[in-house]
Parts: sequence; C-alpha cells; structure tokens
Amino acid sequence: MAANYWASTQRRHWLFTKERLADIRESFRERDKAAHSQFPLPDQRLLNIYFSQQLIKLGKRMSTRQQALATAQVYIKRFYTKNEIRHTNPYLVVTTAFYLACKMEECPQHIRFVVAEARNFWPEFIAPDVSKLGECEFALISEMNSQLIVHHPYRTLSELQPELSLTSDEVALAWSVINDHYLTDLPLLYPPHVIAVMAIIVAVVFKPSQTSFHGTAAPLAGAMRDGGMNILAALGDKNGAGPPPRIQKLVGWLAESEVDIRAVIECTQELVSLYEIWENYSEKHCKELLGRMVKSKNLDK
Amino acid sequence: MLKEHLDPRKPSGTGYTSKVRVRDKYHIVGFISSGTYGRVYKALGKNGQKGEFAIKKFKPDKEGEIIQYTGLSQSAIREMALCSELDHANVVQLEEIILEDKAIFMVFEYTEHDLLQIIHHHTQPHRHAIPAPMVRSILFQLLNGLLYLHTSWVLHRDLKPANILVTSSGAIRIGDLGLARLFYKPLNSLFSGDKVVVTIWYRAPELLMGSRHYTPAVDLWAVGCIFAELLSLRPIFKGEEAKMDSKKTVPFQRNQMMKIIEIMGLPTKDIWPGIVSMPEYSQLQSLAMSRAPGHFPRSSNLEGWYQSCLKNGGYATSSGAGTPGADGYDLLSRLLEYDPTKRITAQEALEHPYFKNGGPISANCFEGFEGKYPHRRVTQDDNDIRSGSLPGTKRSGLPDDSLMGRASKRLKE
Ligand SMILES: Nc1ncnc2c1ncn2[C@@H]1O[C@H](COP(=O)(O)OP(=O)(O)OP(=O)(O)O)[C@@H](O)[C@H]1O
Ligand SMILES: [Mg+2]
Repeated sequence: MAANYWASTQRRHWLFTKERLADIRESFRERDKAAHSQFPLPDQRLLNIYFSQQLIKLGKRMSTRQQALATAQVYIKRFYTKNEIRHTNPYLVVTTAFYLACKMEECPQHIRFVVAEARNFWPEFIAPDVSKLGECEFALISEMNSQLIVHHPYRTLSELQPELSLTSDEVALAWSVINDHYLTDLPLLYPPHVIAVMAIIVAVVFKPSQTSFHGTAAPLAGAMRDGGMNILAALGDKNGAGPPPRIQKLVGWLAESEVDIRAVIECTQELVSLYEIWENYSEKHCKELLGRMVKSKNLDK
Repeated sequence: MLKEHLDPRKPSGTGYTSKVRVRDKYHIVGFISSGTYGRVYKALGKNGQKGEFAIKKFKPDKEGEIIQYTGLSQSAIREMALCSELDHANVVQLEEIILEDKAIFMVFEYTEHDLLQIIHHHTQPHRHAIPAPMVRSILFQLLNGLLYLHTSWVLHRDLKPANILVTSSGAIRIGDLGLARLFYKPLNSLFSGDKVVVTIWYRAPELLMGSRHYTPAVDLWAVGCIFAELLSLRPIFKGEEAKMDSKKTVPFQRNQMMKIIEIMGLPTKDIWPGIVSMPEYSQLQSLAMSRAPGHFPRSSNLEGWYQSCLKNGGYATSSGAGTPGADGYDLLSRLLEYDPTKRITAQEALEHPYFKNGGPISANCFEGFEGKYPHRRVTQDDNDIRSGSLPGTKRSGLPDDSLMGRASKRLKE
C-alpha cells in the first residue's frame, strides 16, 4: 500500500463512519422533506449502478482508463455527501466528475468533446454551452476542497499479486470486485488496501469461471454468503481442519499482515448485499425517476 | 454539524457561488510576478489573520469580452491537488484555495526570496560568491524537500532557481508544482501527454535524447545544475532552445546538448549503455561528426570546470568550511551523471560525505551570513486582483529564464 495513503487527504477528510453517512443523508431529508416525498429515488446503490453505466458510456469512445472512471465515481460520492442530489442535475455532475477525473488521472479530454459526447447520450439534460460544465467543475472542486487525489485499491492489488502468487484469473476477478465496490458506499468507509484484500479473498475463495459478476450476481451472492462467510469465520481458528492449502496460504498471510479482518468481513457483506439488490436494478426506472426530478425542478437550466 | 449546507447564496448544487471571497480575507498589497498561467500577488491577512501571503491567480480564459468558465487547465488541477496533499518544511506551504469569479486563487505562505534573486544579488554590483555553508544548507534543504516529493511519488519536473523559494528565515521551499505529477500512475501516463518538460537549461540529458519516460532522476539532474549555478553564479549549461516547428514535433535540442557535452564530454555507450536506444541517438552521432575530431572532449571536464569555479569564487581549493571542496565535487559529478539509472537519488545524496563531513548544517541557510538580500520587489502597477485577468508579458523584478521554458510548456497542454 502506498506509503503516503496514511497522510493523505483521503484518509484524513474522506473516510466516514456508517453512522456519519447516515446522519448526513438524514439531514438532507430533514431539510427538504417535500422534495424527498415528491421525488422518490431508487436505492443509492441502484443509482450508483446507473451512474457507473453512464460513465462507462461516456468513456467508451474516449479510451478512458478504468482508474479515471473509478476516480469519477469517488468524486460523485464525495459531492453527494455535501449536496442533496435533488438539488442537482445528476447528468451534469456525472459528466463533470468524468471530465475532472480524466485530467487528474492523466488522460485529459477536451471540454468540448466531453460535452458533445454527453449530449449524444442525454441531449435533454446537458446544455451545449460548455460553461455549464466549467461552472460545475468549480462546484465539484470547491466541495472537495481541491482534494482530488484518490487512492484506489487497484494499486494494492497489483502490489500483492506477486506476494500472494495470484493467478491472472484471480487478479481479473479481484479487479472486477474492486470495480463493483464503487457501486457501494465502501470507498467512503474503508481504506483502499482493505478493499483490495477483500477483493483478493473473494477472488481466491470463489475462483469462479466467470470473469465478472455482472448479471450473475444472485448465485454468487448466495455462494459468498454460505461459503465465504464460513471461511472468513474460520480465519481466527487456525487449528481447525481448515480450508484447502491455497486458501490456507492466504489465511496465513492475512494473519501476518496487519489488515483489519473485521473490516474485511464487513466489506464482503456490503458486497453480498450489493449483489442481492442488483437483482432489482432497472435502468429504465432510474432514468425515469431522475428525468422527472430534473425536468420538473428545472435543474438542467 | 452541517451548517455549511444552509448558505443562502448557494443556488442549486451545480451552480457556483464562492463561499469565501479573496478580498474579504486578504488585503492585496502589490503585484509580484506574471507567468504563463497567471499572476502572483503579495497579500496580508485581514480580520486578525496574521502573516504575509502570496496569492497565485490562475487567469480564466476570455471569450470575447466576457470571462467564461472554460474548464481548468490540467496544470492548474495538478498544482491544486498536489499542493493540497503535500506537507513538508521544504515544500511551499499552501494556505487555502479560493475559487471565485471564474478564477482560481491559490494562497501560499509568502517567501521573501528565491534562488534566482539570491544568485542575481551575488552578481551585483560585482561577482561575489555565495558563502560555502549557505550553498550547503540550500542544497541539503532542497534535496530534503525533493526526497519528500519523490517518496510521495511526485516528480517536480521544473526545478530551477526561480522555482526554489527561500523564506526570510532561510528555509528553502520548493515551489511551482505546476508541472509536477504523480509517477505511480500506471501504464502510458508517463510516456504520453506532455512532451517537453523542464526549462531547457535544467533539462536532463535523457529528456534531450528523446526519452519520454520520466523518472525521479530528471529532478536530480536539475539539482546538479542548480548546485553548479550556486557556485558559479551562472547557469552551467546555458543552451539556446530550438523552437518547436509548425508540425509541433519536438526538435532535437542540439545547442543545449552541445553545452552539456562541452563540459561533460561526449556520452558514450560505455558510460551510458542505454544511450544507443534513445530516439535521438542518431542526432547525437551526427552532432559529434559535424565537428572536427577533438572538438568535443572525450571525457568529462567537470573537474576542471569545478576547480576554476572554486578559484573564481574565491573558495579555498583544499577543504574546510569555506569551500565545498572535494566532497562537493564528488556530489556534483554524481548529480550530473549522464546515465539516469546511475545518477544519485535524493536519499543517497543526503547521505553523501558533502553533508556528512564538515559539521552541522543549519536549517537557516542565512546563518552566519552578514549580508542582506533585498526584499522581493512588489509593484503597484497591477494590484487589482479582480480585474487583472490578462496575463502580463512583463515580469517585475529580475530577468528570468522561465518565460522561455514556459513557452513550450504552453504548447503541450
Ligand atoms: N509563495 C511565494 N511567495 C513569494 N513569491 C512567490 C511565491 N510563489 C511564487 N512567487 C513568485 O512568483 C513567481 C512565479 O510563481 P510560480 O513559479 O509559482 O508561477 P508560474 O505561473 O508557474 O510562473 P512561471 O511561468 O514564471 O514559472 C516565482 O518565480 C516567484 O518569484
Ligand atoms: Mg515558476
């Protein structure tokens, strides 16, 4: 893990407890009850799935790196800890987060190109005038206090690959687990190396043939709940009959490392519940609710 | 707890109104400098906030007469993000960043001096060398700040005297992180993107030879150049920059390479095995061929350069506190090592005998120094921080090399 994560603004200013996040969201609701009852929105994770799919669309033609999409997702999360979503045009926020993240992750895109691309997908929500995006960039940077450097679990994953002699399948799977964790609150709750360890455990323990969970979430969620939790529970019990050697090696490493096992288990649970709720995802539904909200509140103006 | 959300001035979440106003918090006392990206002003804190500040304003682009939001430059974004993250006694201290009126205001602690100004002062009215203990303290602090940057995975990429700030109490602060970037970013990042980096006189030979793979070694070459300049009061490799042609291809910096060769000798594959695979290798060969045999020294003449530099500066040629001596030469030669893979690192440099021998190093580079450096020049011709959105071409204070370097920097953004 990066030596400088410990001193980073991410650790000092952008790690929340679950309770604190819940408080923030509750205070948004308290402050604008009318909007909340008038414009119900899907579960935050379903919205996140929707946002991430929009980001992927945006990034497609611009050969954007995965890491930039991940950074954009973190920016969106941070921004919405400071702003009630119902007071914003989420399409503009998503586009701006993308534009800003591309600059930060060293794959910059011209503002005109980003706006044109966004208008391809959501002409009714993005104005042709680039200054709207420029203004939103100010809002984003200001809400984040210019703290734009994001530490991601991907790096820990590649650092641990040789140490744990992970196969390329395992790495690919862990990688996609990391991609998925951006759909939850986990990036605001845990340090990146905890997420990386969680992703590795999931990958090694399940070794499924599929390279991505998407679409096959439910069986995996089940398997993780039944099998994974047992294995995790057995982590402390080093004298038991124990899991297969491959997994034992990982268990041994975990015991040696100073990684917080409890945190890793909590992360796994978050992921399981993501895969469960994923079953209810409907792109159309998200689009309709967001569209109604933006249009009737004139948030796109 | 969440009072900030109740700001009545704030329109919808994506519209923007600054919560903090520069002029409510700072009193602008004058104008310091104007660079490619904007202007630097001197300011005093208001409302009980003590201290002096330097406010760097990134100019907004103008479209016609009205200033518009046009998206921030990548350079501004990097500088803002890095300065918010970094915290070290030898790196310039950021106070806050204010986004207001479509412009960015980075508020830094004020530093009374910089190395360009200090070096310049020692040439006026006639040359008088910078005392050896002061050079040693400057270099130590500079390397210490650089070690911090490198262990934080940050390459500075534009180290030069104008960007090395010095406080009135003699502390060195590495400034101007406008070109700095993180180097752990994987894959293509350090190959693609910006092509030209570092003001040409301080540019490492591997960059001149067309390498697009930046490593921390590029910064250490620049430190070597700065070390030499502190001793001789002149840029050691003062080449002329070949301008980018209309096709925006980066030309081979023939003249700059020649200046290096004149002192360091022709780089060969024996001392720098990687050189044969560098993009500009054939250019280097034709450069060598274009001159009469023996025109360029076969081997390094740095020691000769160093000895005459000591002599001209009135430094003792033996050893002692009055001279950088033989240890200083050894360190210089390791910083100005052709092969980037063999060049000394910041960590190693800090442990070099030049610092280990010869007693304690003061954290105040002026300690024991009798002289006085003039204050930074602050002018009144433009201290309206709000209207000054057009970049001035004029620099107050000293003539500077930086405009030249930045001209090419602009092209790559
Ligand atoms: N903290 C500071 N205190 C006092 N003066 C400063 C400070 N920071 C910068 N300056 C002055 O302003 C000049 C320009 O600052 P800086 O290098 O950060 O901006 P820049 O736009 O990148 O300029 P350039 O293109 O000239 O390199 C410095 O060389 C120095 O003279
Ligand atoms: Mg500068």
